[in-house]
Amino acid sequence: MSEIEPLVRLTEELTKLPSIGNKSAQRLAFYILKQPRESVEQLCDAIRNVKDRISYCSVCSNITDRDPCFYCTDDSRDPRLMCVVEDPHNVEGIEKTKDFRGVYHVLMGALSPLKGVGPDDLNVRSLLERVGAGEIAEVILATNPNVEGEATAIYLAKLLKPLGVRVSRIAMGVPVGSDLEYADEVTMLKAIEGRHEV
Amino acid sequence: MPLYTTDALILRTYQLGEADRIVVFLTRDKGKKRGVANGARRLRSRFVGGLEPLTVVRLAYYERESRDLVRLNYADPVQSPMRMRNGVSLGYVEYFAELLDECSPDADPNATLFRLGAAVVDALAAEVPVERLARYFEYWVLRLQGVYPPLLLCQRCGQKSKGGGRLDPGNGGFSCLACADKRGVLLSAEALRFLRDAAGVPPEGLSRIGLSIGAGLQLESAHQQLITSHLEKELKASKILRAMSRES
Repeated sequence: MSEIEPLVRLTEELTKLPSIGNKSAQRLAFYILKQPRESVEQLCDAIRNVKDRISYCSVCSNITDRDPCFYCTDDSRDPRLMCVVEDPHNVEGIEKTKDFRGVYHVLMGALSPLKGVGPDDLNVRSLLERVGAGEIAEVILATNPNVEGEATAIYLAKLLKPLGVRVSRIAMGVPVGSDLEYADEVTMLKAIEGRHEV
Repeated sequence: MPLYTTDALILRTYQLGEADRIVVFLTRDKGKKRGVANGARRLRSRFVGGLEPLTVVRLAYYERESRDLVRLNYADPVQSPMRMRNGVSLGYVEYFAELLDECSPDADPNATLFRLGAAVVDALAAEVPVERLARYFEYWVLRLQGVYPPLLLCQRCGQKSKGGGRLDPGNGGFSCLACADKRGVLLSAEALRFLRDAAGVPPEGLSRIGLSIGAGLQLESAHQQLITSHLEKELKASKILRAMSRES
């Protein structure tokens, strides 16, 4: 196969994808080779479209194929309620609940002193501008439940509270369907701290 | 492939593939190690919560002689910075972890450094004022590295310094006010007194030792110069901490 240059090139390109090793890349390359021309062109078009048509929303920084994005222009959503997340794929996770009907703001990461990611590297300024404009009544901080996400949430809360909005943090605790016996101490502690009356 | 069980302090992690992590950890008895935690990024991983920076864990790993990376079996958290109720201190967690990481060579046992790190995590959980804790931690890490100059005697006149002095890492160390030129960082009598008092107590005792904002800033500046001079680079985390404190 080493002599068939186009196949080698395709395999090399596929190897660059996450969790695709050389064997998988070869298998995919041969699969693509066997497909009808139209299917391969559809795949190429889809990949090209992702790069050509998807950009970041100028309001919330979520990925979108139109600007402002679907969530920012949907009149049925509550513009007074905002959920702040680290990455665009977190929006999908929250949307799956079908329960949150507010708007989003995507930070594009979390504060990470170890990785050299500071406030200037995140969409903090635009968040403050949106909240400062006055329409937002509550900001839900839905950053990840780890040291970086917690540090980011606390940093944002310090900046947001003086703007006169309610600032809340998503709860942390044991996953549904799991067993308390196997929950670690920190998770249990957070679950007990975040308990609510029934 | 022998299984080792030890106490360890998690220093940092890197993503590996889809679901795994490479973990850098400081053990009590075998120095700093790197290992793979399979499936650590999955929601129901057995490592979940145990691999956050500066978590003290009871950890087991397999090691092969010819391999640089060990394989983690489990990491049960014993003390975690996520227990903190005062979240402002969370920003410092990665700074402490980076300083420990930079000052501990691979596989070079240093039980004192491990104990210092673990004591600092306990102090964070006990809500010791984090600025004082940071200065204490820097002081002890630098002392254990052998780079903290003696602050009692002036390096020029050899006399005891009573009213403070200047610390100039690039120019020999500490000089009393009478001998010092304008170079280096000014350390007031209060800053020196804090170091003297803090040196004799465990980190949780820092709540009882006062440190004004001005003296704290002097110590921070002096320690940053010593760290930069020792490591020949500025820590990433200290730059970010400065940016965070400037904006908030």
